[in-house]
Amino acid sequence: MLTWGVVAVLAVGVYGQRALGMALVDPERLGLRPRQVLAMVPLSILCAVTALQTLSTHGELVLDARVAGIIAATLLSWKRAPMFVVVVVAAAVTSAVRGLS
Amino acid sequence: MEQPSENTALLDWHDLPVRQIPEATSLTVGEAWTIAFTYFTVAITVSLVHSTAGTPAWVIVAATLLVNSATATLAYAAVTAAGGSAVAGVVGGCLTASRFGVLAAALAPRLWPQRWKRAVAAFAAFDPNIALADRERKDSDARRVYIAMSLWLVLPWWLGASIGVVIGDWISDPRALGMDAMFPALFVALIRPQLTTNNARLIAVSGACVALALVEVLQGGLPVLVAALPALLALRSRENGAT
Repeated sequence: MLTWGVVAVLAVGVYGQRALGMALVDPERLGLRPRQVLAMVPLSILCAVTALQTLSTHGELVLDARVAGIIAATLLSWKRAPMFVVVVVAAAVTSAVRGLS
Repeated sequence: MEQPSENTALLDWHDLPVRQIPEATSLTVGEAWTIAFTYFTVAITVSLVHSTAGTPAWVIVAATLLVNSATATLAYAAVTAAGGSAVAGVVGGCLTASRFGVLAAALAPRLWPQRWKRAVAAFAAFDPNIALADRERKDSDARRVYIAMSLWLVLPWWLGASIGVVIGDWISDPRALGMDAMFPALFVALIRPQLTTNNARLIAVSGACVALALVEVLQGGLPVLVAALPALLALRSRENGAT
């Protein structure tokens, strides 16, 4: 259960990390190679988060209906389906598989 | 014709209320609405999780506004629900949100040279707006997309959380509706267009594998932090030169 105190501490903690990330990097002094690495960081993190949200719950690997939904999302993305279709079909497939099992 | 960043930086903020979809960027109306819809829906389910845990409505709304991170508040809820102390919950929450700091650092070189502007922008550092801003070729476009997408994302996010508090009783089980698949599905749609080179595909697969390998070993958000390291593989392609 969240309380006002917890919300305050989390707000400071989370914003602090975001601001630190923005402040640590000095855009005007950054070399080409660090720039190239930083440019790929979002891709790497996005893939990590996607994998974890598909295959884990609370720090444990779990195989459930979400996997079917994300496979559908991946296929549709490869066929260049609109983003909206990808998201809605993924939810629908997950829901259907969960309902059947 | 292209003037240095001072002018563009000022214009960006001046244009803020005018352009919901910045002109001449690769951002589309469909993408903006999809992200808004996804964050709106997920915010409703996050609200539900917190109200089920006994959090008062106003605290949920405030948490969404102020913390601005579902992963942080959900991690706190998960730790405390499992019997952990509030301190353990807060530490878990902050650790889980640490990826936003790294993402912010990743986009920072393309944002404003002024620290205070980046400090303001930091508040809304999420995954989709950073990914879409990073897609732009010109830094000035990246800034405009970042501002626009931050609004497209944060406003539905707050709205969804507030509505979730009110209609919580109607949706008994968000999982039955497959809502837990919406975030990863959106991320898949964001990732796919970025996989244009072998190097990008290698980084993508490595990031996912590292996170999965570490999820049962490391706490909270640490697997995701370590999963940022495959980005170092970008150095392999330096002989290709041009960006």
